[in-house]
Amino acid sequence: MNELVLKIENLTKTYKLGKRDVQPLIDLNLEVRRGEFTAIMGPSGSGKTTLLNLIGCLDKPTSGSVLIDNIDIARLPESQLYKIRRDKIGFIFQNFNLLPYLNARENVELAMELAGKFKGQRKQRALELLATVGLSEREQHRPQRLSQGEQQRVAIARALANDPAIILADEPTGNLDKNSKQEIVKLLANLNQKQGATIIMVTHDEHIAASAERILFLSDGKIQEKQA
Amino acid sequence: MGILTRATRNIARRKTRALLVIVALSLALAMIVSIPPSITASQEATQKTIDNLTTAAKIVASTVNMAATQMDCNLPLTLRTDAGPYHNETTFERPLMNITEYSNLTYVQHVTYVVPVLEQRAYDWPYTVYGVPLDDATLLSSYPILLPANITAGRNLQAGDSGVVVLHERIANHFGVAVGETVNIFGRDFEVVGIEGQEALNTTYATMSLSDAQAITNTTGQASTFIVFADSVDNVYAVKEQIVGAYPKLTVTIAQTLLNQVYQMQRQTNEQLQQAHETMNQIESTGIVEMGIITIADSAIILFIMLYTVRERTKEIGTLKALGASNTTILGQFMLEGVLLSLIAGIVGIVIGIFGATSLANILLPQPITQTGIGITTSGSGTWGGSGSLTAASISVTITPELMLFGLGFSVLLGALGSLYPAWRAARIRPAEAMRYE
Repeated sequence: MNELVLKIENLTKTYKLGKRDVQPLIDLNLEVRRGEFTAIMGPSGSGKTTLLNLIGCLDKPTSGSVLIDNIDIARLPESQLYKIRRDKIGFIFQNFNLLPYLNARENVELAMELAGKFKGQRKQRALELLATVGLSEREQHRPQRLSQGEQQRVAIARALANDPAIILADEPTGNLDKNSKQEIVKLLANLNQKQGATIIMVTHDEHIAASAERILFLSDGKIQEKQA
Repeated sequence: MGILTRATRNIARRKTRALLVIVALSLALAMIVSIPPSITASQEATQKTIDNLTTAAKIVASTVNMAATQMDCNLPLTLRTDAGPYHNETTFERPLMNITEYSNLTYVQHVTYVVPVLEQRAYDWPYTVYGVPLDDATLLSSYPILLPANITAGRNLQAGDSGVVVLHERIANHFGVAVGETVNIFGRDFEVVGIEGQEALNTTYATMSLSDAQAITNTTGQASTFIVFADSVDNVYAVKEQIVGAYPKLTVTIAQTLLNQVYQMQRQTNEQLQQAHETMNQIESTGIVEMGIITIADSAIILFIMLYTVRERTKEIGTLKALGASNTTILGQFMLEGVLLSLIAGIVGIVIGIFGATSLANILLPQPITQTGIGITTSGSGTWGGSGSLTAASISVTITPELMLFGLGFSVLLGALGSLYPAWRAARIRPAEAMRYE
């Protein structure tokens, strides 16, 4: 049994929506082991993205703890959190979020540059990663000259750049056509199986979720595991 | 690909916006680099005017002192009747005085010089003979006003001259003589050494040595006026009282009118000096105010453009944060963009400044005043000071290498100043909110 890479205990998140208090996550508990491919499903507004943001240190919980590699990120100040995001997390977004003024290779390198890696080292790694996602020929292309599927593959390469503990994918196929969806899902599954990447993917698409080895449902602020 | 590349590409990505910002900023920075040298050039021009005016004021002041110590002592006019060819001619005449009888004038306290002069005119002659003692070189150099002023041809009289005359232009014309020629006055030939130009207030004199004048008018040992000089302006009235006390018949005239005119001249010069000083101060304060306004406007342009940029790129900031960019990295990136934009504008501004500083200076600053026609003239009976008139003048401005460096430094500073707050805001954006931003 692999070690725990993520442990969430009694996680509650409350925020204000106008005058109303919204509580998308209530006393949520979750454990994820290294090398697991987890899909989180749930209806719109069920708190999937909120959960992902909390794991990814983009937001702070109201109460409870979130341990990544045994570090409780809920208690870390912003001056430390960026290091967790940089070194432990790899993000894949629905809208790819590539920087339009950088080419494919530079977008992948950006994550490594922020981690302070040297130019030669990061260039080589970026080229390797682009080869992994099948985009060796496209390294000089800026995002606007890539198809959406290709853009998402660049984003996946970028997420892998710093060899993170967890890859967080928020509706990674949400903006893709059917063929691209299949490609991306295959790629993620491959990364998980061949490279042992730990992936937590949020999706509302059952077919996509089916590629994960573990499927969780988020409703009423709590996680329910789908039994195989 | 580092922070600099990202900043450059971000600027290049929005070319039209960047171009407009650079045009606006560069014009402002051209003004910034043009103003300091313009102030200096204007001040130099004005300072030159001030120096000229000060010199004029000094000359006027010394003239005032010289004129103010002068007193004319003579006997009251009497009527004189001469037998004419057809009838008797009656004229006013200045009675003559025996010089020896008034030798005590020299001993009056505070008197520096007693100068006997002779003014003689025959009723049928169109001019007056004027005799001045020419035997004392020190006297003549101390009181040049004793001799004719405004010599237009030849030379003036000098110590030791004898048998020579300086003719007023009208007399020279009357006799049809020029410098170097001989003229017969009261039956004796004199060599004309100089011609005195015509002025509003001078008299038509044939000026010669006192002894020559006495000889030809048979008045040896006599004078029509004693010009007495006191040792200072403050003692003039005391000297006058003593003279009248010792010689009750003498009329003592102080050059009051002349004095008033000279004082007026001095006042005018002082006013012009003040005007020049005010202009100089005005140039400096206008320049400083303009530089302040431009600085604020420049910073505001950068502030608003960077605030807009931050707002526009909120999602990008979110992405950068998600990838692990620290607040410092975000702050640095946005500040660098602002500084880079400002620096490019600074370079363009300096180029504009090199070619257009002079035009900008003339548009932006009050023009310095320069002074024309400064001059002092003296005439037979006194001295006139003139300080000309003040006119506005344009200046020529050059941008030095030091100013170019200043311009570059200033644009970096402006860029940093203007982008500090937007960059700080960018750094403070919470990543979850930034990611939601559309």
